[in-house]
Amino acid sequence: MVTLVVKRIGFMIFTMIVVSLILFLLLETELTGDPAARVLGQFSNEEQREIWREQHGYNQPVALRYVKWLGNFAIGNLGESIRFKGPVADVMLPRLWNTAILGFWTFAIMIPLSLILGVLSGMKEGSKLDRTISVFGILTTSIPEFASAVIFSAIFVFGLKWLPGTSSMSGGFEFKQLIMPAMVLIVYDFGYVARMTRASMAEVMTSQYVRTAILKGLPYRSVIVKHALRNALIAPFTVIMLQINWLLSGVIVVEFFFAYKGFGALILEASLNNDIALLEACAMVAVCVAVTTQTLADIGYTFLNPRIRFS
Amino acid sequence: MSTKRIHPGVEQMKKSLTDGKCSRREFLRTITLLGVSATAAYSMAGSILGKDVLPDIVSSAMAATQKMGGVLKFGMVVQEMADPATYSWTQKSIVARHIIEYLVETGSDNITRPNLATSWEASDDLKTWTFHLRKGVKWSNGDDFGADDVVFNFTRWLDPKTGSSNLGLFGSMMEETGEKDAKGNPIKRMIKNAVQKVDKHTVKLNLKSPVLSIPENLYNYPTGIVHRDFEKEGGDFSKNPVGTGPYELTQFRVGEIAVLKKRKAPYWGGEVFLDEIRFVDLGEDPGAYLAAIASSQVDGLYELDLTTLEAAKNIPGIKVISIPTTQTGVIRMKVTEKPFTDIRIRKAVQKCCNAQRMLDIAHRGLGIVGEHHHVASIHPEYFALPAFKQDIKGAKKLLAEAGYPNGIELTCNVGNTDGVWEQDAVAVLKEDAAKAGITINMNVMPSAQYWDVWTKAPLSLTSWTHRPLAVMVLGLAYRTGVPWNESSYANPEFDAALDDAESTLDVEKRRAKMEKVEKILQDDAVLVQPFFRSVFTAVRDNVVGLKNHPTRYYRFHKVSLA
Repeated sequence: MVTLVVKRIGFMIFTMIVVSLILFLLLETELTGDPAARVLGQFSNEEQREIWREQHGYNQPVALRYVKWLGNFAIGNLGESIRFKGPVADVMLPRLWNTAILGFWTFAIMIPLSLILGVLSGMKEGSKLDRTISVFGILTTSIPEFASAVIFSAIFVFGLKWLPGTSSMSGGFEFKQLIMPAMVLIVYDFGYVARMTRASMAEVMTSQYVRTAILKGLPYRSVIVKHALRNALIAPFTVIMLQINWLLSGVIVVEFFFAYKGFGALILEASLNNDIALLEACAMVAVCVAVTTQTLADIGYTFLNPRIRFS
Repeated sequence: MSTKRIHPGVEQMKKSLTDGKCSRREFLRTITLLGVSATAAYSMAGSILGKDVLPDIVSSAMAATQKMGGVLKFGMVVQEMADPATYSWTQKSIVARHIIEYLVETGSDNITRPNLATSWEASDDLKTWTFHLRKGVKWSNGDDFGADDVVFNFTRWLDPKTGSSNLGLFGSMMEETGEKDAKGNPIKRMIKNAVQKVDKHTVKLNLKSPVLSIPENLYNYPTGIVHRDFEKEGGDFSKNPVGTGPYELTQFRVGEIAVLKKRKAPYWGGEVFLDEIRFVDLGEDPGAYLAAIASSQVDGLYELDLTTLEAAKNIPGIKVISIPTTQTGVIRMKVTEKPFTDIRIRKAVQKCCNAQRMLDIAHRGLGIVGEHHHVASIHPEYFALPAFKQDIKGAKKLLAEAGYPNGIELTCNVGNTDGVWEQDAVAVLKEDAAKAGITINMNVMPSAQYWDVWTKAPLSLTSWTHRPLAVMVLGLAYRTGVPWNESSYANPEFDAALDDAESTLDVEKRRAKMEKVEKILQDDAVLVQPFFRSVFTAVRDNVVGLKNHPTRYYRFHKVSLA
């Protein structure tokens, strides 16, 4: 177990270093255009750019610059944002926190909902309940966020006038403003997780030990709770961990639509405005989240599954 | 005013109004520019026309019943606003406009009134302008406002190192140093004594050539007056927002929010109603703004676009306020970039344009058709040239002469910086141009990215804001060598004709001179101009006293909540 964890963490760090190298080559070197021009804008003249390169050490060898850049990143020195005129960390951290809040509530509702529905429909494959849940899940999952956002706005904001139309939280945090974006994310994602849970549950239900449990006369309730569920929930665990990755890209659309000041909207703004330092930091955070959740999923899966744990 | 000398132009204008040669509006505008106070101007017009011509009857009557207090929430992007002299977005100035102030103020009716300057006079040759500054105005840091502040601002604007677009407005205060920069453009500097402190509250501007629109130029949005120690104290307005206005900046986060609170110190301009103004950034999605006002999260919006206009009309509790303007989009061709170095190509593109069709399709007919010289029929000095007609055959012939008998392929950048009508206008031109064998590829880019290339691209559509006088925008956009001359157009003959028109006070005479200016610009085929558009926005019913402004220079001093 310990070896596995160490191995996994080692691999995680390796992945991040590779990604950081690609990111550095793309944004900080001449490979895709002059970084000085990117930062100072098209209006800048050669003289200004030269001064900037000198000041920011861009005349040093690429390898040395990369090591320095990586070092700065490691100690949390993320540079200055051009768009926001301030340190990147000051801009990014509150935005990351906002997205975490949105993600938390999305998951807090989506996970129990999709697990319950998935288990219910997987218990009796082909039943009316199973068909209803499956069709509904496929339907909501096949409507992309930008479409469901418009539909929900039309219903709940313009039609029924129950909910606020945007979620900028300009007057401080307000739970009501969180409902629309969270709803869009939940409705899109729950169908997928429910379907995965259903598949896993259905598979377990056909296994021999469940058959034995039923045949030996155990109440149906304890067959499900004690025998089936524990095994059926291993696969959804991995799927859910991977949803955190999906969330980071899913929020770009939702945050833009509802003017929610989160990480997704920030990535979009940074890339539209050529804000290199901010973009690098955002990309690294996204990669970090991706590899961390993957590692946790792997470790968690091993831990939950005795067959792997004891082998 | 009676104790001061009256500009002879005022008498001239009186005669024009009596003879019916100028409109009431033109009369009011011109004589207030010459230093007659707005009240006096209205009463003069009233006595000549024999009827009451009172300003703002509705709003002055309303003022008595307007309620004090309250928080106005306004949906608008919040951008960095470090240096008021280099603003290139109106939105930045709207936040700043409540903190710092201008020497004058141009109202929704295009009439320029005193603000930090109480009055001004021009010499007969329009080369010397004297501004009398308001006494007793205090900066928020306790200092007295005075001539030193104004001199500091002019000196800063006119230093090319500042990078202010005001250079183009006050070109008559600049001279060439004789040196040239790396690209061979002459380096300029402010003429010594171009701005002169007469006493603590009087400033004189000495111009090398006559300019009529000096007061109006002083309400152009990058001309907000900052404190004389602006640079010494760091040169960042959002970090050190010292101003003379009634509000102070209490919260500011780029991309999120700007909060203004009413200052405790009494304001020289009388009572303002709102306790607090909150500018809420809702990103760049027009749908988000509409959703926010529909659910009462904001009380007003910076703008509506065509896609949200119809929807807004149908939402109860919201009113749409609109105004005709000279805002426009110009599809300009960079005369220094191939293939537009060849005038025949430019003319061919121009001949493909059917402006009425572009207006009808791209802007639902809301506006005035353009004539490819950036002068609108609502500009006072507009001269009607013979109607410009689409000529596909002529375009083909010119193409063949220029060496492209089989057609040519062009790429046009569009940033949709003011809405999708930009893209739609180019799409209509693309259709028409195809008939002449010109293939126009559209390169649609995000608006922020567009401003990185707007002066560089060979062919692109740029949105220009409203300016009350045509000479003002022509000076900014088409005079040789000014920073915003995006087409790199350089024609000494045009510059001279423009200088001449700019220095002519009499409307009729000025209009006659505009014929040449318009004709040269149209004939040189620098731009294809589809239309001038009306602007509109939405406010909730509880907002009292907010009028739309042709340039969206919103100012909430007289706005209150019901």
